Amino acid sequence: MGINLSKGERINLSKEAPSLKKVGVGLGWDTNSTDTGVDFDLDASVFMLGANGKIPSEKHFIFYNNLTSPDGGVKHTGDNLTGAGDGDDETLFIELAKVDAAINELVFVVTIHEAEKRKQNFGQVRNAFIRLYDQETNKEVAKFELDEDFSKETAVEFGKLYKKDGQWRFQAVGQGYNSGLQGFVDKYFDN
Amino acid sequence: MAVSLSKGQKVDLTKSNPGLKKIIVGLGWDTNKYDGGQDFDLDASAFILGDGGKVKDEKDFVFYNNPTGAQGALVHTGDNRSGIGDGDDEQINIDISKIPADVQKIAFAITIHDAEVRKQNFGQVANAYVRVINEETGAELIRYDLGEDFSIETAIVLAEVYRNGTEWKFNAIGSGFQGGLSALCANFGLSVA
Repeated sequence: MGINLSKGERINLSKEAPSLKKVGVGLGWDTNSTDTGVDFDLDASVFMLGANGKIPSEKHFIFYNNLTSPDGGVKHTGDNLTGAGDGDDETLFIELAKVDAAINELVFVVTIHEAEKRKQNFGQVRNAFIRLYDQETNKEVAKFELDEDFSKETAVEFGKLYKKDGQWRFQAVGQGYNSGLQGFVDKYFDN
Repeated sequence: MAVSLSKGQKVDLTKSNPGLKKIIVGLGWDTNKYDGGQDFDLDASAFILGDGGKVKDEKDFVFYNNPTGAQGALVHTGDNRSGIGDGDDEQINIDISKIPADVQKIAFAITIHDAEVRKQNFGQVANAYVRVINEETGAELIRYDLGEDFSIETAIVLAEVYRNGTEWKFNAIGSGFQGGLSALCANFGLSVA
């Protein structure tokens, strides 16, 4: 069993899991059940940010259409179109040693595909979580279950891995935004 | 003024209305007018849900034939067979302070009686809504108008009230089902013979 984090909580991975090299990051969710209407398609993605809090290039935005970062340190295992079933819906693999030294932060976000058109929001999403596990042992390091308290948000920052004093840490974030993926793009790209 | 919600939206019920004890959940609808054919009979019901979003047993399904639930905290005030007239077509009274501690959530649904036989669906229903009224003052607190997003459905979960810590909140749901009441019951862990 890993550590259950609450919103805002941080852990130091170098201390809690010193042998951790390859991190599996699983993100999961369920949507309100219905047997009619439009399907939900939620997407997990990662913004790799430099010390200035900005993304060095568009290649550092890892999502279903750009599955691997230039340094090879972040890999997205692909889009899950339904979110059906238990367990992780989308997974990213992070090889900490490979992540470019200029990258200070990996921000994990989940957005609703075509949220506006489909009239969908995180008020219709349940049981969302992000968990970190050791890819080599499958042992869970930490898990953050986002409480259900989202409403009209269409994008949520689940958590972030960040470097402090040369050590990787993880913070449970759980911050929702109303402006979809575009909101994050605007926030992290230096225009 | 009542808060008008859009689908998926969640709002505080008790936090923003301190002292709120008794509420009326009013559900309303109109059906397409046409001569001949069969009458519409829409039914409002409530599912009293524990952990995991399931009912404990059939007593947790409150409808015209089982009008009381949650140890008396919920009272369905009766069937309206025609949906005629303005205002709420059916109402469920809830005494929040009496809801047993193991109840996490109460879901409110509308189903079409005999939908399959009568070839009716929510495409023929207009102006469906759910609203929450403070029973003691008569003030409307929350309202969710369903809009026109439904067509082939024969059952719709309109909304839920749910526990959030020590408070109660309201979630506009708007989930549709084609399988009528039986699909709805299955969704909440109740098998209907």
